[in-house]
Amino acid sequence: MSRQYNPAVAAYKRMDLNSLPEDNKQEQVSSKGLLARSSPSNKGTSDLDYSNPAVRVAKQMQVIRKYRDEINGTK
Amino acid sequence: MELNNQPSFDAPIPGQSLTAELGARPWQSKPQYPTVDEAIDYYMERMSSEEFMIQLAEILESGVPVTILANTIQMAGVMEGKHTIDVGMLVLPMLMEMIMMVGDSAGIEYNNGLEDKNKPKVRDSLIAKVINTYSKEIEGIDLSTDDTEVEDEEEIIEEPKGLMARRT
Repeated sequence: MSRQYNPAVAAYKRMDLNSLPEDNKQEQVSSKGLLARSSPSNKGTSDLDYSNPAVRVAKQMQVIRKYRDEINGTK
Repeated sequence: MELNNQPSFDAPIPGQSLTAELGARPWQSKPQYPTVDEAIDYYMERMSSEEFMIQLAEILESGVPVTILANTIQMAGVMEGKHTIDVGMLVLPMLMEMIMMVGDSAGIEYNNGLEDKNKPKVRDSLIAKVINTYSKEIEGIDLSTDDTEVEDEEEIIEEPKGLMARRT
């Protein structure tokens, strides 16, 4: 087993979670004026491509990593 | 080099793949969880069971690296026809993170298996060189003065000076 190539090492190391933006769910105050924007702005939302399965996996990992950090008391 | 010339007994026998009907093996048929999200849900549910967690903790405690464990779980999923090999590759890092979380919550000092075994180690000659330089420095320090101070302290015996003191 040890002589066999393990893809887990490369797969894990390539997941750069530190550069992944965290979700900041902020309640947007919707203005009701005449000059208010009719469509929701894209400001504040991340440019992550959620159609990419790797991004979705990274998001799941980020949640677990956060929980791990809480357990270990590193953050 | 002689090792490379040894025959590999782990390799499949030629024609072994033709010993069953095409599509008879679970990995040859349609996967049960074709997308990454479905595969993640499947593993999350499976790994959150108490029985699985206890088993996992025991394996981690025995020193099995997380990378090997995650790869084995993923490979078993492929062999059982749960998901495809590419979905397995995508799910691998999440599996590792999950296993490490179980290890952390159980307080186990596990081996994550991410360290490079081929990384150059500190040479013995370098360690010997450092020991030599420090031993020379220690030799240069005169420790005799410290010993005399201790002896002096032992010799001084305070005599009682009170009225009720015993006379010798």
